[in-house]
Amino acid sequence: MTLFSVDNLTHNYGEIQALTDVTLAVPDGAIGLVGANGAGKSTLIKILLGLLTPTSGEVEVLGENVRTHVREARARVGYMPEGDCLPVDQSASDFVAYAAELAGVPAKAARRRASESLALVGLGEERFRYLKDFSTGMFQRVKLAQAIVHDPRVVFLDEPTAGLDPEGREQMLELVNRLSDYNISVIFSTHILSDIERTCDWVVLLDNGRVKRNSPLDRLGSHGVVQLELIDDPQSTAEILRSRGLTVTVNGFRMSIPSADGVTTMIRDAFAETGTGIRSMTETQVTLEEAFFAVGPDFPPPVPT
Amino acid sequence: MSEEAIIVDRGYRPYEGARGTLRSSMWAIVKDGYRRALGLRRRAWSKVMPWGLIALMLMITFVVIAVAWFAGDLIPDLPSYAEYFDLTSQLGLLFVALTGPLLLVPDRVNGVLAVYMSRPLRMVDYLLAKTAALVSLMLTFYLVPQAILHLGLAGLSDDGFFTYLGENLDVLWKVPVVALAYIATHGSIAFAVSAFLGKSGLASGLYLGFVIITNNVAGLIVGSANFIGAKYAALFAIEQHPRYVRDWVFDSNAGFLIMEDAGFDAWVSAVCILFVVAGSALIVWRQYRKLP
Repeated sequence: MTLFSVDNLTHNYGEIQALTDVTLAVPDGAIGLVGANGAGKSTLIKILLGLLTPTSGEVEVLGENVRTHVREARARVGYMPEGDCLPVDQSASDFVAYAAELAGVPAKAARRRASESLALVGLGEERFRYLKDFSTGMFQRVKLAQAIVHDPRVVFLDEPTAGLDPEGREQMLELVNRLSDYNISVIFSTHILSDIERTCDWVVLLDNGRVKRNSPLDRLGSHGVVQLELIDDPQSTAEILRSRGLTVTVNGFRMSIPSADGVTTMIRDAFAETGTGIRSMTETQVTLEEAFFAVGPDFPPPVPT
Repeated sequence: MSEEAIIVDRGYRPYEGARGTLRSSMWAIVKDGYRRALGLRRRAWSKVMPWGLIALMLMITFVVIAVAWFAGDLIPDLPSYAEYFDLTSQLGLLFVALTGPLLLVPDRVNGVLAVYMSRPLRMVDYLLAKTAALVSLMLTFYLVPQAILHLGLAGLSDDGFFTYLGENLDVLWKVPVVALAYIATHGSIAFAVSAFLGKSGLASGLYLGFVIITNNVAGLIVGSANFIGAKYAALFAIEQHPRYVRDWVFDSNAGFLIMEDAGFDAWVSAVCILFVVAGSALIVWRQYRKLP
């Protein structure tokens, strides 16, 4: 199932182009939306929620066209904004119950849902306290609780770990991971790459309003080099491979060979001939950090899915 | 406790119950408006002003009934329904100065609009729900004391309870119509001022200042200036428009009015009220259409 798709999406703020001809489709699951400040993450989220009308292009969330069926789309999503979004003169329970009612949950059920959601985020005991008395970490948890209280199909989290201390951040990431247990997909917007690696299985990398990567996190691309770690001396095997036209670099018990068609078969045959033991054989993958900082056309493209 | 008792923690579960329509979402906003305006489910100090004004409003009603009861024969000219608006409209003005900003400002300042707008609502739905909250609150504020007064006077009438009600059937439409004129004028300006300011208290103060200053300046110009067109300054005595409409509806003359002094008919005040409402709605919409 496609979580959301955008087609030729462009959005301008006056002279400034925030998103330029973005086309992508993202599957169900935990999606990381990564980019530097000003890359267009928040603009994309606001367009997906129908808060902003794009300059041009089409947007669908959970199969609903956001331009023509914004209510239907919003009925199935939750949103945790980056900035302040809590009325400090209310108790956590009252506000979260109210947030559920806004999404159409009847009043009585909304109160029960509020208790359950606040318990999930670890605020079961504090739910009747006024929000004014909450710490930053507790604020973030209440923001998450209001985003999931109506049991959305997908929740948009905009910088959920912002302002949290290491322990709070750890707990927030754990909570985000737990959402999949309840069949809630996540769109996690952040510029902290390790948070994405901890929680997501798909990544959309935005740079200057354009999509740089849209792929599973484990298929960001390959460096095109096969790495081997050996048990025995690699020299004899290296000689055979060189004689068959491959470029082989040996470093102690490690061996690197540029990837090409049929290279794995040639390696297998060479090792069978020499009887040398192999500990591991991998093709080196592009990390999220490498993909984030990568520039230029020579950088490896993502692996097709 | 029974030996067989167990604690069952159901925890977070997917919701499979009914989901309401747009109307139920808007009703949630209206209810939240009531709670905020009246300080319900909030700290004690939030309740002081609204409930103080409500108490004062009711007190005036009971005083009038008490006077009619104990000294009705000695004071034959008890306040009429129209004059009663004069007694209470200042409290109404204060009540709307308090509730108008409370309904709009905190949501915007606290960033809660981002949460509202991620729900199946549009900004126009939100603003309509807030307007419904203000209008219904103000109608209750004006009409409940009037209803008590009506029933109280009926109970004390020498002609009998039902005879009095039968003879005064016209108040059943006149009082709500006049109350709506007051609410439309006061409420729309309160919303327009609140759409710009980041503090409820400041919005309340500025709103009251605006109403008082426009009244006084208009009165001064109409009363003392002798240039051509000076009488049109009366149109800016905004607070007096609902009073003129009240006199028109009740066919009474409850006091000096700048519009009357300037030679305008009461229908002009009714048109001015419509302009104030339309202008305020436009101002609020312009401020909110690009939020959050």
